[in-house]
Amino acid sequence: MPTERLQTRRWPAALFCLALLGLLALNAWQWRDGPPLSANLLQLLPDASHDALEGLATERMQEPLKRDLMLLIRHDDERETWRLTESLAAELRGSGLFAQVRERVQPDLPAVARQLREQSLGLLGDTERQQLIEQPVRFVQQRIERLYDPFAASPLPLEQDWFGIAGLALQRMPQPGSLRTGGDGRLIAEHAGQRWAVVHARTQGDAFDERLPQQVAALVEAARSAVETAGGELLAAGGVLHAAHGQRSARAEASLIGSLSLGATLLLLLWLFRTPRILLAALPVLVGALSGAAACVALFGQMHVLTLVLGASLIGVSLDFPLHYLSKSWTLQPWHGRRALGLILPGLALALLTNLIGYLALAFTPFPALTQVAVFSTAGLLGAFLCTTCLLPLLFNGRLQPWPRPLGWAQRWLQMRQALLARVGSPWLLAVFGLFCVGGVLQLSFEDDLRQWVSRAPALQQQAERIGTITGFQPTSQYLLVRAADADALLERQAKLSRRLSALQAEQRLGGHLALSQLVAPTAEQDRLRAALPQLLEASQPLAALGAATSNLQAEIERLQAQPPVTIEAALAGPLGEPWRALWLGAQNDGVAGLISLQGLRDGAALEHIADDVPGTTLVDQPARLNQLFAATKLQAGELKLLASLLIFALLCFPFGPSGALRCLAVPLLAALASLASLGWLGQPLTLFGLFGLLLVTAIGVDYAILMREQVGGAAVSLVGTLLAATTTWLSFGLLAVSSTPAVSNFGLTVSLGLAFSFFLAPWAIHQQDTPPQAGRPYGAA
Amino acid sequence: MTPPVKKWLAAAVLLMVTTIAMAQPFDLPQLAEQLSGPAVVRGDFIQEKYLRALPQPLTSHGQFTLSRDHGLLWLLQQPIRQDYRITPQGIARRGEQGWQAVDPQGGSARQNQLFLAVLSGDTQALQRDFQLELSGAATAWRLQLTPRGALLKQIFADIEIQGGETVTRIELHETQGDRTLIRLLDSQTDLALTASEQRDLAD
Repeated sequence: MPTERLQTRRWPAALFCLALLGLLALNAWQWRDGPPLSANLLQLLPDASHDALEGLATERMQEPLKRDLMLLIRHDDERETWRLTESLAAELRGSGLFAQVRERVQPDLPAVARQLREQSLGLLGDTERQQLIEQPVRFVQQRIERLYDPFAASPLPLEQDWFGIAGLALQRMPQPGSLRTGGDGRLIAEHAGQRWAVVHARTQGDAFDERLPQQVAALVEAARSAVETAGGELLAAGGVLHAAHGQRSARAEASLIGSLSLGATLLLLLWLFRTPRILLAALPVLVGALSGAAACVALFGQMHVLTLVLGASLIGVSLDFPLHYLSKSWTLQPWHGRRALGLILPGLALALLTNLIGYLALAFTPFPALTQVAVFSTAGLLGAFLCTTCLLPLLFNGRLQPWPRPLGWAQRWLQMRQALLARVGSPWLLAVFGLFCVGGVLQLSFEDDLRQWVSRAPALQQQAERIGTITGFQPTSQYLLVRAADADALLERQAKLSRRLSALQAEQRLGGHLALSQLVAPTAEQDRLRAALPQLLEASQPLAALGAATSNLQAEIERLQAQPPVTIEAALAGPLGEPWRALWLGAQNDGVAGLISLQGLRDGAALEHIADDVPGTTLVDQPARLNQLFAATKLQAGELKLLASLLIFALLCFPFGPSGALRCLAVPLLAALASLASLGWLGQPLTLFGLFGLLLVTAIGVDYAILMREQVGGAAVSLVGTLLAATTTWLSFGLLAVSSTPAVSNFGLTVSLGLAFSFFLAPWAIHQQDTPPQAGRPYGAA
Repeated sequence: MTPPVKKWLAAAVLLMVTTIAMAQPFDLPQLAEQLSGPAVVRGDFIQEKYLRALPQPLTSHGQFTLSRDHGLLWLLQQPIRQDYRITPQGIARRGEQGWQAVDPQGGSARQNQLFLAVLSGDTQALQRDFQLELSGAATAWRLQLTPRGALLKQIFADIEIQGGETVTRIELHETQGDRTLIRLLDSQTDLALTASEQRDLAD
């Protein structure tokens, strides 16, 4: 071999090393502020909103989910409860992680009184307004009854509210939840005879940011142990804790899967090749992981934890390249790194292309989660491939003498297969296989639920439920979006909806709701009320009889008449408007929009009817919509699978011709079918994630068929290579099955089953008649 | 926030003072122990509301029945007839269709635990929000309640309860200057509720 040729061939390695340095630098820069990991489930989901307004509304409604943290503390000794609460609140404040920490409220009573005085006509409820207009005499009579009522209280002194309108306006305001304030403003929740102190905190910025959830979770854990050491009890709930759990378990799983599969693989390699140098075969995996992470962060700004977990399984796939390559050392002896590469390169490139097709197909699903996985994997595979082809021939240029026994096993396995085929015959085997598949697929159930996407955290869930029971806050993800031409029309629509919702509440089918119409009346109604005020003055004789000066009553009516109409904005601006503020979306391009939020929903079907009956109303049910989308996407997954298969078929036609391509493609397709059937037999549901997993099976499984068909170094050695590749891939995908995130676990199971079948079916890709040129002979005809 | 606080307070004070009527004075735990004494206390009441804006007080009177186990009936008779009851389920007024919860939105529901605490003689419940000061002798004692927290201080200046063998006087001083005086007269103890009281409280 002329040395000159060797030298010209060195440039790919040099170039690759340069690129690798660049990659390392890029990674270091991306990770400069800690790992750019996100646990925000919402980022992974497609935007199911029908329009921009819905998107805005959803963002509003999800705000508390992302930022709020609710803590409940209890101790048998009440003074101890307060002491613990104070110190917890001080600690939360001191951490600087929270924009707001509230363990007590100090309502600004003068401000409440001012708002009531200035806006009483607008804030008065429907029933009371109706009564004032239609039965002023009765209205005054009831005012006097309230004056005598020992249990009725008025927010304003008599001389500022002669007719009691402000008092009535305040009385009808709904108070969500069963939180109350003690005499000193402390937030208290009472349930089943137990008194809990409540701390409500709002995190600084978004809870799904990288480090915040861990810091908050650590803070809560420290507080919990402090409270428990003191003999008390602490409950905590908030999206931020779920995010922290998700990050933690994903990181733990990714490192478990990563280290186990890499460790086991390296041991396997050491055992087979008997030289420590073989450990360098892991290099492409590392390069792959680095490239994947870099591409992900570059494209999406950060990497989702789910990508990290799924990405860990790429180890198994990217290791296939060096394994297929190095396994050729069993027969291609004396081993020559570069020449072996030359022989394996077409097959390897083909395998890369089919893999890329499979992963890229994932990118065209409407799920950002899968797009990220696709990007990560595509970049990772390219990195691993380049590393294998550029670097490995140099690193493994010397002697490479693997343990010969596995080759013998593979030969025996192929002979056994031949013997079996000779005795039973392919049609019979196919029939058995067909029966297995039909039987399994018939038992297959589809199941898709958003909850499968979240790592299971029973402890957190349980606490959240207890807090919901104790405080009465049971946030629901469903809400009503109401649109109308103007504010008055909006309030009328909301009022109509609110009446229907109250009826549901009376039937215990709904816990509660907040509507803007509960706060303020339409200005037209306010005008009607204002016009009726003179009649109220005429009916005020009983008040005068109690000693009220007529001039005072007259002045009160005049003051009320001079009140400007109360707009939604004005009502929301006052302290009484606080609970409703998030519900007002304000002027939109063709009118105004507002929301109605719901608590403790037990009957979703009833809501749909209500929404249908009132024009301009949309019931926004994000989880249900996503679940529907999941179902709809199944069809798309099928189409993508078909498209990917067609592409792979077209690709395979070049080297193998149509019939050979079909034979190769049949292997993973049948394997996918068998994998589906196995899920059915195992009683496992097929999730959308699993379905996408089958896309991968097509792409990776076809590699086995290709490499078996190429038969570089002989059928037996190809089988050994395939077995090695399959084993390492199983190690990683199989380990995914233990993930605590149901969607990931289902994905892992589906893929590893599919790959197992792909391996067993791979020998069928060898065409019996055509003996490849290299078969059985070292370096073939070369 | 304000009205419920005031509402339960008025009720709580009423309940407490009527139940501690038979207590040996001077020691709050002793008083609390005495609360669970009589099963039923009945009597008349006169309520005078002194409002700054009115030249005369608003005077009303009627009868009350307190049951240790069921709650309080407050039957206002003059100048208007209106029946109230406080039970573990909350405050209710008698309307045309029977008893109606005063605040069905849940405002009263959350005060029940407190009422129960008071009914069972839990002075700890009142001590949470008030500083209690007991003085005088068994035949003429005086209990002063001063709000602890800033929120209550915005509503009440103080509450004063006086009694001898039974409670005779409750006076609430509101921060804004109005005050309410309730006098309880002819309190009698009994072992059981009458059938109609039973119906009203258990309904």
